[in-house]
Amino acid sequence: MQFFFEVLIGGLLSGIMYSLVALGFVLIYKASGVFNFAQGAMVYLAALSVVGCMEKGAPLWLALILAFAVMTLFGIATEKFVLRKLVNQPPIALFMATIGLAFFVEGLAPMVFGSDPRALDLGIVDEPIESILESAGMVISKFDLVAAGVAAVLVTSLALFFQYTRIGRALRAVADDHQAALSIGIPLQHIWAIVWGVAGFVALVAGMLWGARNGVQFALTFTALKALPVLILGGFTSVPGAIVGGLIIGASEKLAEIYIPPVMQSLFGGNFGGIEGWFPYVLALLFLLVRPEGLFGERHIDRV
Amino acid sequence: MNMKLETLVIDPPAPTRKIGGVILDLQNISLRFGGVKALTDISFDIREHEIRAIIGPNGAGKSSMLNVINGVYHPQEGRIVFRGQERRQMEPHMAATQGIARTFQNIALFKGMTVLDNIMTGRITKMKSTFVEHALWFGRARQEELAHRRKAEEVIDFLEIQHIRKTPVGRLPYGLQKRVELGRALAAEPSMLLLDEPMAGMNVEEKQDMCRFILDVNDQFGTTIVLIEHDMGVVMDISDRVVVLDYGKKIGDGVPDEVKNNEEVIKAYLGAGH
Amino acid sequence: MLYREAGQFKTSYAADQQLFPIRQDRIGVLLLLAAAFLAVPGMASEYWFSAILIPFLIFALAALGLNILTGYAGQLSLGSAAFMAVGAYAAYNFQLRVEGIPILVSFALAGLTAAGVGVLFGLPSLRIKGFYLAVATLAAQFFIVWCLTKFPWLSNNSSSGVISAQKVEILGHIFESPREKYLLVLTVVVLMALAARNLVRTSTGRAWMAVRDMDVAASVIGIRLMPTKLLAFAVSSFYCGVAGALYAFCYLGSVEPDGFSLEMSFKILFMIIIGGVGSILGSFLGAAFILLLPIFLDVGLPWLAELFHLPFSTATVSHIQTLVFGALIMFFLIVEPHGLARLWQIAKEKLRLWPFPH
Repeated sequence: MQFFFEVLIGGLLSGIMYSLVALGFVLIYKASGVFNFAQGAMVYLAALSVVGCMEKGAPLWLALILAFAVMTLFGIATEKFVLRKLVNQPPIALFMATIGLAFFVEGLAPMVFGSDPRALDLGIVDEPIESILESAGMVISKFDLVAAGVAAVLVTSLALFFQYTRIGRALRAVADDHQAALSIGIPLQHIWAIVWGVAGFVALVAGMLWGARNGVQFALTFTALKALPVLILGGFTSVPGAIVGGLIIGASEKLAEIYIPPVMQSLFGGNFGGIEGWFPYVLALLFLLVRPEGLFGERHIDRV
Repeated sequence: MNMKLETLVIDPPAPTRKIGGVILDLQNISLRFGGVKALTDISFDIREHEIRAIIGPNGAGKSSMLNVINGVYHPQEGRIVFRGQERRQMEPHMAATQGIARTFQNIALFKGMTVLDNIMTGRITKMKSTFVEHALWFGRARQEELAHRRKAEEVIDFLEIQHIRKTPVGRLPYGLQKRVELGRALAAEPSMLLLDEPMAGMNVEEKQDMCRFILDVNDQFGTTIVLIEHDMGVVMDISDRVVVLDYGKKIGDGVPDEVKNNEEVIKAYLGAGH
Repeated sequence: MLYREAGQFKTSYAADQQLFPIRQDRIGVLLLLAAAFLAVPGMASEYWFSAILIPFLIFALAALGLNILTGYAGQLSLGSAAFMAVGAYAAYNFQLRVEGIPILVSFALAGLTAAGVGVLFGLPSLRIKGFYLAVATLAAQFFIVWCLTKFPWLSNNSSSGVISAQKVEILGHIFESPREKYLLVLTVVVLMALAARNLVRTSTGRAWMAVRDMDVAASVIGIRLMPTKLLAFAVSSFYCGVAGALYAFCYLGSVEPDGFSLEMSFKILFMIIIGGVGSILGSFLGAAFILLLPIFLDVGLPWLAELFHLPFSTATVSHIQTLVFGALIMFFLIVEPHGLARLWQIAKEKLRLWPFPH
């Protein structure tokens, strides 16, 4: 039972990391209706720019600021050269364009900052918290706990930003109805650039945490693939959905990885590890069949 | 495009229309979306061969009513009796096979396809060949494609759109698109045709054309027509009976003259002050 | 000879509805086929057959499969490579486990197996659309590849799921040289492309396109959404499955599950975006483009670098490749969403009017 809880908590904490990436998707989807497949590439770009700048001699704080500048520029450029030209195209065309964008970034970023895997040290160690290990006998990583804390702060501040600032209100208006927002004088293109900037910031945070944990390498782009089932589960438009979805996916995939392979092994023989790769998708898929709009998504009525 | 066509014979016109018995009976229909009541306890009937108009201010539930008739929406309460048979849950494609066709308020053509293909699609319920025959261009496939092409061309001639048959519909002006959509519905040779604002956004000339087509369809093929329209002149001119909705409730029903003089209808249209 | 249809009067609907209604198109296609079947086998070198022509045809077939699903029926899939894997492994197992089964029969059965799996993963399309569905097809991509790696029976207990395709023997003749394999692949691909063209110009194709363009209207005129969508999944996966079988048997000879990666699925998607979504010709153009581009870059970039005395590594070539692919996808979606096929069509329309501008 103790082991079960250890796996569960470990899963929940890594789920938070998925949520961080999913959050970037939700922001952009809410404001512009674009399903941004390039979010994973953005995480990679952000982490690479940090280590790239640090290699050139910049201290961490400066590297972070520079990386944020890179992400903002990237957001503005994307809005100006890609999205603006695709207004009025069907959403699926926009989605495919972001796949192209992902490839573009995955090619460009390592050309600029180098492609060798590098370590990123944020000064937090990935080791068990001793007091919990002693008292409950469970291994809970310090690093995971810090990551969870960062995610919590990020989500809270985003929620406040959306709720209480002028830009936040404009953002919500744009998300509701582009035409209407335009007609009352909200500058749509600025808003989109800002959203991409914010999403870039979220990618930066995710890139830092993921990079510190697994190293800064191409595999960071796969974080997007981890975030997709989270989105399906939580609904594309919901910030709380991204968090809850991440927790569910994180916990269930770790539990599945521990408990399903032995069962299958006894049935078929052989080694059935690596369920993590598809389990979240199948879970999300089954969930979709029951509730197509996700946990917190809005139910959509077709008007004809 | 230069095309010489084979003989073009429109089906012999049906005898001058005579309004028959009740073909569709709607009893106590209520429809809700979550907490929003779209239709409340509405009953009326539609007789064979008649032109039945549904009118009412915006948001009165007219389109919802059509959607209930052809199975896009499923009312929570009420009975629908079509040709003497009560039906419960019905999917839209079943309405089509039973001979109910319709057009939409916002044109719902297949934008990536040509006019001809759109109209051919209207005949899909009448086609029997399977995809294997299609792939091999074998068996019934070829024969059927040609036979239905002929039928589609009849519709094209009827609506006078020969010159655009191979144009993708997305490139056509609004008025012509509306006409093509009517053509797609007609291609199914429906016994009942639901038209959702067929003349919205048209100029006088286009409206006249459309009226002519609707009357001709009704006259020549004996098709029962259910019509939503805002142009009162048109409605009063061409319909046999009119039902009036307001806020999802029925407030009037009868021949045009009756409806015109109905107190509640006047109130709904002109505001309570009058 | 000009591309002009003036003077070609059609006197029957049959003449207007044939496979290629315009005479010049008919002649063009016949010339192309003659070249592919007669001239190319005499001229091309071994390298051309095994490194360019065979993979081109196979990927064109897979792209055609995806185009049926995405371009015609409007259901985006990111799992084409996985369905190719199903085809490859199914063909292998049919050859392995069924005594004396003809190779072409196992190819057909491989296609059918892939079609079955495709329908299974197409089921969610009945409830979800757009990118929800695209994400759902990722489930197919990951799950199928995982199954092929983990269930030893599927690869006859080979380590990490690698299989070696059996020899290709038809009527006692063994297809061994690249030239023979090319002719076999070409025949299969041509026949399946013709079948696809027949499908999309008849009521099957119209039903798909109707569902793609406006599903509510489609169901209102009597198209049953469920069978129509599932048929698109089945036919599309059938094409991908056969492509996968050819990929294993006539191209690589030995394949592993991880070879059918998400990367490959994306590549096939790129083929139809660049070639032309909803165009059979486009599937071929796109496959050619995506396969040839890296070859050009491999050759051209080092040459350019030398010209400008820039430092250069092989890693950079692959980065530039990725970057160029991404840039091209965005470029085509912005500038010409209907791809190369549309450019070809515009050229033809210009030719029809030439030399008059209007």
